[in-house]
Amino acid sequence: MIDPRSRITLLAGTRPSTLRTSAQRFGLLLSRIWAWLFLGLMVLFFVVAVPLVSDGAVNFLTIRNTQNILVAIIPVLLLGLGQTFVIIAAGIDLSVGWVMSLASVLSALALRWAFDGGAPLFPSVLIGLVAGVGGAAAVGFVNGVIISKLKVPAFIVTLGTSFIVRGVAYLMSENTTVIGLPAGLRAYGNDALIYYVRGEGGGLYFLNRPEVSGELLRRMDPILPYPVILTACVVVCAMFLLRRTQFGRHTYAIGGSMEAAERTGIPVDRHVIKLYILSASTAGIAGFLSTLRFTAGSAVIGDPLLLSSIAAVIIGGVSLFGGAGTVIGTVIGALIIAVLTTGLVMLNVEAFWQFIVVGTVVIVAVLIDQSRDLITGRQRRSTAK
Amino acid sequence: MFRKQSLFAVAAGLALALASTSGHAAGKIKIGFLPGVVDPFYQVMQLGVEAAAKDLGIDVVTQVPSTWGVAVQTPILDSMIARGDLNYIITAPTDKDQMVGPLKAAADAGIKVITVDTFLGNGDYVNGAVKFPLSYIGSDNTEGGRISARALAKAIGGEGVVYINSTNPNVSSVEGREKGFKEVMERDFPKIKALGPDYNLDDPNKATQQTAAVLEREPKLGGVFGTNVFSAQGAGAAVVNGGLAGHVQVVAYDATKLAIELMNKGVVTMVLAQKPFDMGYMAVQFAAADAAGVTSLPRRVETGFAIITKDNVKDPAIARFIYQVPGK
Repeated sequence: MIDPRSRITLLAGTRPSTLRTSAQRFGLLLSRIWAWLFLGLMVLFFVVAVPLVSDGAVNFLTIRNTQNILVAIIPVLLLGLGQTFVIIAAGIDLSVGWVMSLASVLSALALRWAFDGGAPLFPSVLIGLVAGVGGAAAVGFVNGVIISKLKVPAFIVTLGTSFIVRGVAYLMSENTTVIGLPAGLRAYGNDALIYYVRGEGGGLYFLNRPEVSGELLRRMDPILPYPVILTACVVVCAMFLLRRTQFGRHTYAIGGSMEAAERTGIPVDRHVIKLYILSASTAGIAGFLSTLRFTAGSAVIGDPLLLSSIAAVIIGGVSLFGGAGTVIGTVIGALIIAVLTTGLVMLNVEAFWQFIVVGTVVIVAVLIDQSRDLITGRQRRSTAK
Repeated sequence: MFRKQSLFAVAAGLALALASTSGHAAGKIKIGFLPGVVDPFYQVMQLGVEAAAKDLGIDVVTQVPSTWGVAVQTPILDSMIARGDLNYIITAPTDKDQMVGPLKAAADAGIKVITVDTFLGNGDYVNGAVKFPLSYIGSDNTEGGRISARALAKAIGGEGVVYINSTNPNVSSVEGREKGFKEVMERDFPKIKALGPDYNLDDPNKATQQTAAVLEREPKLGGVFGTNVFSAQGAGAAVVNGGLAGHVQVVAYDATKLAIELMNKGVVTMVLAQKPFDMGYMAVQFAAADAAGVTSLPRRVETGFAIITKDNVKDPAIARFIYQVPGK
């Protein structure tokens, strides 16, 4: 179905874009970059306000704090990455939080089993990765099969599996925290690629945590912790997958219209299964990384993160109706949430305000998404559906 | 070790800028207070922290996690470390193993860590695996569990079935309570069978459900031990809802107003009040003393209990231990 307005413009022999006023064009531009703007303004606000409130004792944009924000976004971002694909394809995955917990438990159990069985640390960590992500992917496969083959709504299926997965994670972990992991594991989840020791006697150190103590240790900032690097690699892969491959094009097509996608010969069922495997797998990576970070598996680790991760996806501009969205948008969404938490703690304002701001931003994001359709005369949606 | 001297020069300018902002104001210390979760126990502890800070003229930065757990506590902790202006962090670790790494990062950044209410590792900062915290200030929770067991055993006449409802596993405080409780029941009261614990994850509604289910399943159930605020609230509610007030005795850890109310109604036999105000106040004092150069601070301080029963609850010397936050 074609929007009547665009038909008129076609009849008049002009391209729709030339009909837009400069105000419309400005509005459209603003709707595309508002999340960047908001993030930028927020950072600017904290950069100015934090030193003011603390009489110059605290600064927002320090090396340590930028790294801290990068570490803080990891779980929310990884849960949101797979979710981005799923929501672009007009689905939803409510199981990711608990899949992350299950992956954390599975990777901890496998890692401990391998290490106690005599395997060296690095192979044990790899076994932990395979077990965590593999277990998560299996849940994603089950989600995908029930949704695509049995035609049960994704909301219901993933709600159901999230409960099942929760139970399994508790049972497997016995007391919800899997401990007794090798001590050397801490380095994998916390050490960084670069260390920078500020001031006198300091310097830059690559690939090796310097053996410093006392005052030098105090002045040492880790730069690019390994989990951040791994997450960045996953983000780059996800961007490539969504923008440059057939897989990405099919994802948008299915989100635009499932029937149309089917008619053009896209194997929709198989694609949907792959999407839920992808979503569960990024959650699995998040669980694995949390096991490394806290040197313990936890059956509750992902519990508080599901809603934040969906909020990040929506703030990033992924349409809940499907067919639109980007990976970088989700990164921005996750950054907004992490910057808020950090900034509020630095301002010494109760971090609970974070919920109020995030909630408002989520609603604003959807409003902006809708107003974009208004500006363009609902072209995007009308051509998509 | 591979060191890049060439890059050092490039970074020197930046370093200078950073060094000027990261120094602590000499002589005056600043403390971060990071409890476990929003609840009356930690609210009273915060009163203690603030009172001591006022008395000693110390700045305190407080952040309270919205829910219990390392996934929520750690980002706040990291942000506190990143402030760069804190000398001490007073915190209740939400997991005795998982929080070791994040708090060690604070210690590495030159922030001294004092744990209150819950501890890291086995809580022995002298001989245990975790040694970096300055001190642990809190209840002897194993002893609290023993006291609770004796009170409950007495209330049910030394025989029957009792049930433990707890909050979260692998948390040093409630784990100690469960341990002490079970130990006394097994050793001194062989005719009593202790069930549980079930974990309600700091949700009183879940505690109610769990207790109600056990009441259904175990007709011989004579008593419930609620190991903290939420457990005791939930367990008490289940007993009242089941019309079993007076028949099933509840021992409540933590002296919330609700627990006291339930005691006045005959649902709760005994309330074990911890001393969160003492913990908060003393932790700030310890930080101030350490900053002043005091080197003989004890690495572990047990703050003791007040045992509240129907008989002594009116006594002002006891009633002052009920968790009260002005204006709440």
